[in-house]
Amino acid sequence: MKIESMKELLQRCEEKGKTISEVMLDMEVENSGKTRETLIDKMTARLQQMKNTIELGIQDKSSSPSGISGGDAVRVDEYVKKETILSGNYIGDAMRFSIATSESNAKMGIIVATPTAGAAGVLPGILFSLHKNDNTPFETLVEGLFTASALGYVIANRSFISGAAGGCQAEVGSATAMAAGAIVELKGGSPEQAVHAAAIALKSLLGLVCDPVAGLVEVPCIKRNVMGTSIAFSAADLSLAGVKSRIPCDEVIKAMYDIGSEMPRTLKETALGGLAATETGQQVKERMYKKKGGF
Amino acid sequence: MEFKSCFDIIGPIMVGPSSSHTAGVVSIGNFIYELLGGPPGYASITLYDSFSETHSGHGTDKALVGGMLGMRTNDSNIKSAVEFANKQGLNFDIQLQDYCPYFSHPNTVKVEAERHEYKIIAGGVSLGGGLSKIFLLNEKIVDIPISANDNVSTLVQSYTSYVKRQTSLGGSYED
Repeated sequence: MKIESMKELLQRCEEKGKTISEVMLDMEVENSGKTRETLIDKMTARLQQMKNTIELGIQDKSSSPSGISGGDAVRVDEYVKKETILSGNYIGDAMRFSIATSESNAKMGIIVATPTAGAAGVLPGILFSLHKNDNTPFETLVEGLFTASALGYVIANRSFISGAAGGCQAEVGSATAMAAGAIVELKGGSPEQAVHAAAIALKSLLGLVCDPVAGLVEVPCIKRNVMGTSIAFSAADLSLAGVKSRIPCDEVIKAMYDIGSEMPRTLKETALGGLAATETGQQVKERMYKKKGGF
Repeated sequence: MEFKSCFDIIGPIMVGPSSSHTAGVVSIGNFIYELLGGPPGYASITLYDSFSETHSGHGTDKALVGGMLGMRTNDSNIKSAVEFANKQGLNFDIQLQDYCPYFSHPNTVKVEAERHEYKIIAGGVSLGGGLSKIFLLNEKIVDIPISANDNVSTLVQSYTSYVKRQTSLGGSYED
């Protein structure tokens, strides 16, 4: 069994009267021959790892091996806990959990690729923000991961999810679309609303290039993960308010594919263009080359 | 339909920062560990192309050494793999080269590893998403895919004949 489009996913949800999360779990049971319990346990282990990564990352002041990232998670954590922050509690908490995860990733911490290592901060950010602000229990967050995986599965098979293949729109863009849809379903929105949220989120990141300084998953990747969480919440809010994406999600995904295909090689993880090619970006790269074999 | 499962999208659980430059490399090291039946005492590592340029920032060297010490892609000790190597008597040196003469891909590595009197030369490529492939065993081109979820100790069973006993003289080998 496979699901080839968002349209097909929604049809399946409607026929069965089920959520996206349940439809994905049913498909996985059918395809893997494993029990629901086994699959839920496997997904729960991933959620648990996300929690562990956040807990380690949020108090880690150290720098990454390259020295170009690290320490911001502690700053954001202290700020969010102390101040009444402009973005509100949901986004504030998502920001600190997300940055903790992506900084850990840069420091060789253990993360869950969602859908890639470079975009690993977005989903943990929004899930544990919901956990903190809504007391959403772990079992429900696991359902959110199944929702997110269904959306990511369709995107990945119709387009791409890696920066090298399609730019950052494919990486943080896909993760943010998955997160937006998961928020909607966790907040009781319909499958259709979840898919609209995914479309709205992805549209706002279309065209985003992959231009990591010195080719490292740090600048600007870490902060783009954080921004992904706020876009995910905004897109979810719009959709829950009844706003629809005027362009159907499958067509947005096609647009992402077309844009990524036309994107020049210099802007697809080669560290030859964009921020990587800035004066400062070049200096970091030269420092690396000079010390080939160690920073 | 390249992606078949929800766990292709949510997962793997892996060491950062890069599925291709870090996580996939652990599997290559792990293949060598399993093939030799334990950590090598000495490993001569050649990193090519993209690996040779960014290995420090991505921890490619630590990932490879960690794999050769028996660590898997989700082992939090990978970032301290060099310290563990010193403790466990794994000596290694690293050469950097621009292009891999055996396999056309930017993320390639060759390792000549020795454990007691046994020796193996293995070439590996990390393809992204935590997926790797062994393309060279001794002088022979091979094609052995490894994913982060594979049981590597079972996988190596078909390839143990490649492990050569090193003779005391001249660096030639016999079975």
